[in-house]
Amino acid sequence: MDTKKSFGVRTLIPILTAVVGIVFLLLGLTQYGFWHELRGPLPGFFPTLVGIVLVIISALALFQSFRDPARPVPMENWLPAVGALGIILGTLVFGMLFSIIAFLIIWIRYYEKYSWKTTITTTLILVAIVVGVFMFWLQVPFPKGLILDAFAY
Amino acid sequence: MENLLLLLDGFQVVFTLQNVLVTLLGAVLGLIVGAMPGVGSLAGVALLLPLTYRFNPTTAIIMLGALYYSNMYGGSFSAILLNIPGDTPAVMTALDGYPMAMKRKRPGQALFTSNISSFVGGLIGMLILTFMGPALADLGLKFGPAEMTALLLVAMTSIGWLVGKNPTKGVVLTLVGILIATMGMDTLTGSPRYNFGNMYLLGGIPFTPFVIGSVGFAQVLKLVSEKNNKVEPHLEEKLTIKGSLLTRHELRRLLPPALRSGFLGTFVGVLPGAGATTGSFLGYALQKSFKSEEELGTGAIEGVAACEAANNAAAAGSFAPLLALGIPGSGTGAVLLGGLMMWGLNPGPLLFSTQPDFCWGLISSLFLANLLTLMIALLIIPFLIKILTVPIKLMIPAITVICIVGAYSTSNSMYGVLVMFVSGVLGFVLDRNGYSTAPMLLSFVLAPLLESNMRKAFIISRGSIGIFFEKPISLVLMLILFAIILTPIVRGVVTKIQGSRG
Amino acid sequence: MKKTMLFIALVMMVLPLFAQGEAEQTASGEFVPTKTIEWYCTSSPGGGSDIFTRTIIDIIKAEGLANGQDIVIQYKTDGAGEVGRNLVSNTKAGKADYTLLTFNSGDLMPMVKNTPNRIEDFTPLSHMAVDKHLIFASPDSKYQSAEEIINALKAGESMVLGGSKGDDIACHAALSEELGVDQDTFSYIAHDSTGAAITTFLGGHVDLLISKPAAASEYVTAGKIIPVLALSTSRFPGNLSGAPTLSELGYNDVEVPNWRSVVGGANMSDAAKEFWSDVFGKVSQTDAWNNDYIDKKKLVPDYMDWKEYKAYADKFQADYLKTL
Repeated sequence: MDTKKSFGVRTLIPILTAVVGIVFLLLGLTQYGFWHELRGPLPGFFPTLVGIVLVIISALALFQSFRDPARPVPMENWLPAVGALGIILGTLVFGMLFSIIAFLIIWIRYYEKYSWKTTITTTLILVAIVVGVFMFWLQVPFPKGLILDAFAY
Repeated sequence: MENLLLLLDGFQVVFTLQNVLVTLLGAVLGLIVGAMPGVGSLAGVALLLPLTYRFNPTTAIIMLGALYYSNMYGGSFSAILLNIPGDTPAVMTALDGYPMAMKRKRPGQALFTSNISSFVGGLIGMLILTFMGPALADLGLKFGPAEMTALLLVAMTSIGWLVGKNPTKGVVLTLVGILIATMGMDTLTGSPRYNFGNMYLLGGIPFTPFVIGSVGFAQVLKLVSEKNNKVEPHLEEKLTIKGSLLTRHELRRLLPPALRSGFLGTFVGVLPGAGATTGSFLGYALQKSFKSEEELGTGAIEGVAACEAANNAAAAGSFAPLLALGIPGSGTGAVLLGGLMMWGLNPGPLLFSTQPDFCWGLISSLFLANLLTLMIALLIIPFLIKILTVPIKLMIPAITVICIVGAYSTSNSMYGVLVMFVSGVLGFVLDRNGYSTAPMLLSFVLAPLLESNMRKAFIISRGSIGIFFEKPISLVLMLILFAIILTPIVRGVVTKIQGSRG
Repeated sequence: MKKTMLFIALVMMVLPLFAQGEAEQTASGEFVPTKTIEWYCTSSPGGGSDIFTRTIIDIIKAEGLANGQDIVIQYKTDGAGEVGRNLVSNTKAGKADYTLLTFNSGDLMPMVKNTPNRIEDFTPLSHMAVDKHLIFASPDSKYQSAEEIINALKAGESMVLGGSKGDDIACHAALSEELGVDQDTFSYIAHDSTGAAITTFLGGHVDLLISKPAAASEYVTAGKIIPVLALSTSRFPGNLSGAPTLSELGYNDVEVPNWRSVVGGANMSDAAKEFWSDVFGKVSQTDAWNNDYIDKKKLVPDYMDWKEYKAYADKFQADYLKTL
């Protein structure tokens, strides 16, 4: 079930890059200007040229892509991304630190099925790094989330 | 000769207990900051600056200088061990450092190579700084927009080899990188470009989250496929410094690239707009023209040596315009400059003559910082390698957290996290389909430099392309450029003619 | 056991966040801060705006002007600073009394040009200092005085001026207009910072340099650059005094001052506005401000309370809008 001759992600990629190229070159020509007699290249010059070349090379890549094997992505590879999304959404409500702690506990204990000892140790080490380096030293103001903001004011 | 005496005077300034301790502290902090993805020397320096107000200026700048400098060492740690560069110059280090650690199963040696090369490169940079600082700074001044354009064009030709096995795909991403870099404010006209009406995009796509995502987070997603691999048992033996040493032969392999990159990197550090990242890239590209015993990109010692030496040399080199002329070469330099002003010193061409103790004290301290950082870095190699024994299953959530936190801290907003997330997902998908993201990152850095210098040159020449051929330095570089482009073509034609004759 | 410990740890982390009081107003309707104040800075740490902000905060703390409350700097650099400015302009009433923003002319101009926000979306609090520009030539250049340069330009000779972005660009535009030369004879190259412009200038790649005194004065002392024209209504002091103003040469003076000020969001209460305006007024009179900051940075101290500043800012914005 490896080589699909039909469309897949591998063919989608050059199509998308071609679209990007077209967008940039069209905007470059119409909105940002191409060449000025005395000032030389205007803001649209470089992106337009690059856009044109990109469209051409994307077409080349598109034809090549039909010969590539399809490489579908197993579901589990997406899990860290889902986890990251969870942290991002959680930050909005609960703040970043809590979301990170929740993520770590859920992932290590419930998904990877490690013991509580490993879970807590790993979580504490990471929290120490985050709090020590980022919060205390670098003074990065992590978001506190809606709930805590509501309490504070 | 006189400079050597001044340098020795400088050492006297440095070797007070307070200053040595401060150098040590700066070195350690820099290593930590450097190893953290998303946090570069800029953040570390800027936030330590107020703490230094209580010290006298010399002590303060020594600490900050040590921090800035050792940051270059630290960046390679996570690049080699995790394929996540701790700072942008380390992107290149990861290309050979990570395969060397993983495929060739020599993480200790990779770290050792990186540290020694950093030391060599930095030493060269500082020696050049000591003896030729002001002259070097003046040379840097001669590189105006036209010269920089020509130089960058030459540099872009070496990006060709980076595209890897499939040139088409590599070029596609290189071009995409250039386009992404054009989003944001266009300095030359003061108007926004390609921001699609979005307020966040007015500032463009921030580079650090972009790197963390496309290299770091993408790597995490990739690691999921390997999470069931067992930890290599042989790693247990290598967990000593002795086990990480390089053979004499390997040390000899390390030297030529490190020396070459040391000189090249110092020079790049002096150029306007070019810093450690450009330096490490050009160092790596230079190595391609020379023979490496192992192929570059597969974990070659030469690869790690070339870029690490270059980025440390560039960091040293960037002190030349800072001290000799009062011109900061980078954001971090600007912060140091601001610090100088707050301490009552006036950076400018007269700094060396009005404040010799300060200047030479700083330069001497860099030598000391280099040595101290090397020692510390070597000593902690066993601890660093221990990180590799952590099961991948735990690394995945841990690195995810670090990526998010690092991306957030670049701009204190979720925008950075979003950029990181999107570029991570895209980077993973691209990599899986044979598109390598390294050329995209490099074109993201170099293309804006190229474009802005080119446009400035044309404004100066009022639209005439002649400027690139009239100024001597630029002319030489353009000739080199033509030579590089035409040589393979000419060779091909000649071969065909010879072939058809025979 | 471990679960309990974790729970206790979590609770202990949350508790400090509850230790915030509510905003109060004293009986007379005056504003006295009773909570932490957030001060937004839209450029990165270590830069000019940051040093400005930190200097004022240190003085406020030293003089005890904020009722002992903490002032925390929040860096918000997204979207070239527009996101941070937008955030402050939208802060709700109540919180707005505790939200400040460092705001310069170099922030106003792109904001007005590229976003729908205007000064009306903010509460001007105090104008603190101003920085003006000079034009410099090199000792090796053909023309060494303003008159020679102006005559050459009007005769059609082309020259390139190098400078930073923002207000430097506006200065060039205003100067070109006053002299009656078009912007292709007198072209401009914007750099990301004055330092970069000085590099290009010292390398001999552009003919002239525009810069503020702080960045340039050391080079003047070293003899590497020569001040030829003062973009101000009066000559500059010290080693910059050799440069005449345009009015001395028979033109109208041209200046686009780079001012530094503090504003709040539009929803700031009047009581808070008076309070902050007063606080900054006190700051501007301290030695720490004048000697350690203004003098060191070679700025011109120019305190305006909220009334004067509002009028000034309104006019500045209106003038700038006309040029767009």
